[in-house]
Amino acid sequence: MRIVYSWLKEFLPDAPNPQRLEELLAGLGHETETIEHLSAPHPMVVFARVLSVEEIPGAEVRKLVLDAGREVQVISGAPNARVGMGVALALPGAVLPGGLEIGVRKIQGLESYGMALSAKELAVGEYAGGLMEFPAGALPPGTPLAEAWPDEQVIEIEITPNRADVLSVYGAARDLAALGMTLLHPDPRPRTSKIPLPFQVWIEDTHGCDRFTLSYARGIRNTPSPLAVQRRLYAAGMRPISLVVDATNYTMLELGNPIHAYDARFIGEGIRVRRARRGEKLVTLDGVERELNERDLLITVEQGGQNIPEGIAGVMGGSRGEVREDTTEVALEVAHFDPISIRRTSKRQGLKTEASYRFERGVDKDGQVRAALRFMELVQQWQGEGVEVAEERIDLNHTQPPRPIAFRPSQANRLIGSSFAKDEQLDALKRLGFQVAGDAEPYQVTPPSYRMDMDIEEDLIEEVARIIGYDKIPVTLPSFFPAPDNLGVDEPFQAKEQLKRVLVGLGFQEVVNYSWSSPEELAKYRAPAPTVALANPQASDRTHLRTAIYPGLLHNLKLNLSQGEQGPFLLFEIGNVFNQTETTRLGMLLAGEAVPGLWQKGLEGGFYALKGLLESAAAHLGSALRVERESFPHLHPGVSGAVYWNAQKVGSIGQLHPAIAAQAELPTCYLAELELPLPKAKTAFKDVAKYPASLRDLAVVVPEAVPYSEVERIIRANAGENLESLQIFDVYRGSPLEPGQKSMAFHLSFRHPERTLTDAETDAYMQRVITAVEEAGYAIRR
Amino acid sequence: MDVDSALRQIEAAGSLEALQSLKVQYLGKNGLLTQQMKTLGSLTPEERRERGRQLNEAKGRLEAALEAREAVLREKALQEQLEKEALDVSLPGYAFPTGGLHLTSQILQELLDIFRRMGHSVVEGPEVESEFFNFDGVNMPEWHPARDMQDTFWLEKPENFTIRGPFAENVNDLGGALLRTHTSPMQVRYMIQHNPPFKIVVPGRVFRYEQTDASHEAMFFQLEGLVVGPDITMADLKGAITELARGLFGPEAKVRFQPTFFPFVEPGAQFAMWWAEREKWLELGGSGMVHPNVFKAVDDYRQKMGLPRAYEGMRGWAFGFGIERLALLRYGIPDIRYFYQQNRLSFLRQFRN
Repeated sequence: MRIVYSWLKEFLPDAPNPQRLEELLAGLGHETETIEHLSAPHPMVVFARVLSVEEIPGAEVRKLVLDAGREVQVISGAPNARVGMGVALALPGAVLPGGLEIGVRKIQGLESYGMALSAKELAVGEYAGGLMEFPAGALPPGTPLAEAWPDEQVIEIEITPNRADVLSVYGAARDLAALGMTLLHPDPRPRTSKIPLPFQVWIEDTHGCDRFTLSYARGIRNTPSPLAVQRRLYAAGMRPISLVVDATNYTMLELGNPIHAYDARFIGEGIRVRRARRGEKLVTLDGVERELNERDLLITVEQGGQNIPEGIAGVMGGSRGEVREDTTEVALEVAHFDPISIRRTSKRQGLKTEASYRFERGVDKDGQVRAALRFMELVQQWQGEGVEVAEERIDLNHTQPPRPIAFRPSQANRLIGSSFAKDEQLDALKRLGFQVAGDAEPYQVTPPSYRMDMDIEEDLIEEVARIIGYDKIPVTLPSFFPAPDNLGVDEPFQAKEQLKRVLVGLGFQEVVNYSWSSPEELAKYRAPAPTVALANPQASDRTHLRTAIYPGLLHNLKLNLSQGEQGPFLLFEIGNVFNQTETTRLGMLLAGEAVPGLWQKGLEGGFYALKGLLESAAAHLGSALRVERESFPHLHPGVSGAVYWNAQKVGSIGQLHPAIAAQAELPTCYLAELELPLPKAKTAFKDVAKYPASLRDLAVVVPEAVPYSEVERIIRANAGENLESLQIFDVYRGSPLEPGQKSMAFHLSFRHPERTLTDAETDAYMQRVITAVEEAGYAIRR
Repeated sequence: MDVDSALRQIEAAGSLEALQSLKVQYLGKNGLLTQQMKTLGSLTPEERRERGRQLNEAKGRLEAALEAREAVLREKALQEQLEKEALDVSLPGYAFPTGGLHLTSQILQELLDIFRRMGHSVVEGPEVESEFFNFDGVNMPEWHPARDMQDTFWLEKPENFTIRGPFAENVNDLGGALLRTHTSPMQVRYMIQHNPPFKIVVPGRVFRYEQTDASHEAMFFQLEGLVVGPDITMADLKGAITELARGLFGPEAKVRFQPTFFPFVEPGAQFAMWWAEREKWLELGGSGMVHPNVFKAVDDYRQKMGLPRAYEGMRGWAFGFGIERLALLRYGIPDIRYFYQQNRLSFLRQFRN
């Protein structure tokens, strides 16, 4: 909300400067976004009245003659220039806020002795499509505009959703006053007359609308508002429209009550507030036809036996009854509507207005009459003579008075950890307008009508702390206590951290990709189709949640390559994927050399490099890793397998499918994707070796299709319990082997824990292995 | 044989091979000296003694000379070998890849270390949440304007998807599904599953419907803290945040608390830390005392599941903040899109401490 400083001063005469105000407001919980300085217009910018407007044949601009104390000719393109209007005129020598210097210029062959200004050129608004219009008699012509329009400052503060009571100049002043400043309360007193009210009001839904006032005034001339008023409205961020509309906005900005003015000619016998019927339609002020339902509250007009929808209550009026230039009599609505109902309608209609914004946050149920009086007072002040205000008004009031809340200062100290004195606490509440009853705890504390955020004792405790000051809350070190139900809960996170550390140690760089993807991208990389779709996606490549980690890694690789980043690319991400449910996965990518040698031969980054790194990770975690041939849609069918971690299948490893690589213009790369958490290995202690090992070598010849794992399985299954280690040291193809055959050579190491093995024993083990290999149909190479 | 000439030859031997053949020539089985030794038997005892003495002396001298020369030649050979083996040590070695954590993980780790020292456990919650846990359970019912503070990515009603975590069978019925807008739903989840007292921190991804630009991301990481027990106070909260500030900015760090509004706390406070290096306050996040409605939502849910109500009369504090901001400010990074939208190695590899 934009607080105009001079306006605030009207209620808080002792208010300190804006910089100090910023600190005070922050202490109260209102954060300042900016402090804006609006300069007075340059002294050569004067008030002037348009005397004549003359078309220039063949030109879009027109010749204006203005009275600026003397006659001044200006050539202007403003479409809204007309005889009699008051404008701001920049004379030669003036400098505009943007730095533009005004001189005498020749336009269309005619001298232009200055420039009539738009709101934008005056730097009070965005509107640049026409002249800013002032009342014709606002100032004596030729008077510097700065006299009515001095320097101004605007403090823009952010109001949290609970503090609707601060959404006005008076509301902000009221909150600040609790810090000990003098507050001048508004006490509007328009001159009233005994004129009859030409309308009635009926409320069908007193829950949706528990307060409705309708006041009446006539004899109004709906001209532009006075200069200073326009300045304030602009400063507050609103565009001046006309006297009546400006008075409703001014009152709302000042007191916080949304107000709606109807041209009294168009409200017939009166206003009926009712729920809409399903399918009922209404054109709102913004020109949009809106379809309503039973939950929307409507303002309708009773006219000649007909009930005509007029506006959506508390959200936006219709164009039928709005005030216009020739409006002379006004029916003024100041009401209170159910916040939840307003919010639902506003959300469903996608229609957010100053009124709905305030109503859904909570408007003072007690300020309606005061706001109506203030409106009338303003109209009388601004217009001068002629405005007749009806003394009587309709006020249908079904509101409940605020109920008291039990408050214990001792409880406040317990929650805050403070030792604020009882009187200090109660005084803070009183200064905020709360009524305190009782002589001892619990006190009965009744909040003022505008504090609709007060519900429970904790709310009052915050008020006490806020006024005493959060800086007065002590600082204690948090106590340590046993939390028996808290033990071990961090294990999953710790396991992830440990895995990350290992991968980083092996040379992998962590990346973090978005959780979303799109069906197209997932299909391109042959990942599972998405199961979760965003209802309101931001972009076509962010429509669904990802089902795998690796598409993101491939995306990273592609982007890095296109940016000329240097490899090698060893990337990993631990993140969540969304298939039947949300699970956590590790994705790894290797592209380029595994270990570049730079000027010498390095380590190729192939399948075995990635597998070796994964094996190393497993070893770091004391786990066993095994890969078995298996196909995955996104991997090369011949260079891929399922990963078994401590004998449990956890994912896949392999080369990116060449068809995908070609289509996506990616280099050959290798991927692994494992489901977390990985099954943990148990550490089992085995005594260190005390007797010598007995070593043997064995070469087995098998057809090409037989995998290492098959041969390994046969050897391990038959070598006996004293086989200590089995290590492959050669894979050979070629003469003298038959084509299609390969030989795998192994070192076997046997060791008995309690004695030295004899050669005969070891030979026997080997013989069992050889027999088994031969029985499986494979040959031993001697 | 001429001993002096032999000694000269030994002295002149240029290689171990040459020395070896000299050794054979003089002292070998058929060497000159050996042959002369063999003639000793034909001499008289007196002659033999004298001649033997001479020959032994000559043998000793030859052996010593051979040994000395061998040492010299060995040293020379070693020198030659070392010279031959010398490398240009200024050439770079194998470029073993150096891994690293993403900057976000690094900052997170720093933060988690601070809270672990204070006895907090680290737990995580799901990214896809139900409306109930994300909003209603933390005192943000459907009509509450505070929902406007967090623009939400809603999800189409998932047909073949179950929200992660316990009580999954109920969760899908708890209103709409969404990408969590904050880590606070984990407050409710944790309290339903665990009894007080406890201290936890919850790191994780959160999502806001925001257009991405240099300072806004639609996905970012939050850290949530929650402490619940019978005697927890707001002063404790201030203490914990002060510890956090000291952990981040050193022992002189200062903390500023100001009132603010979050539906799930009452009283609520936003906190800032004094960043001495830059001489400014760093607005970090929101905090406060757990709102009684949150405890009530937890207990109501527990009751529905047949668990005892455990949070009546409990008090707690909670905080939450986005962690990228810390990284952006600490390193003066101009654009948050470097974090997740790009993942460029030349960015990620800069942070290695």
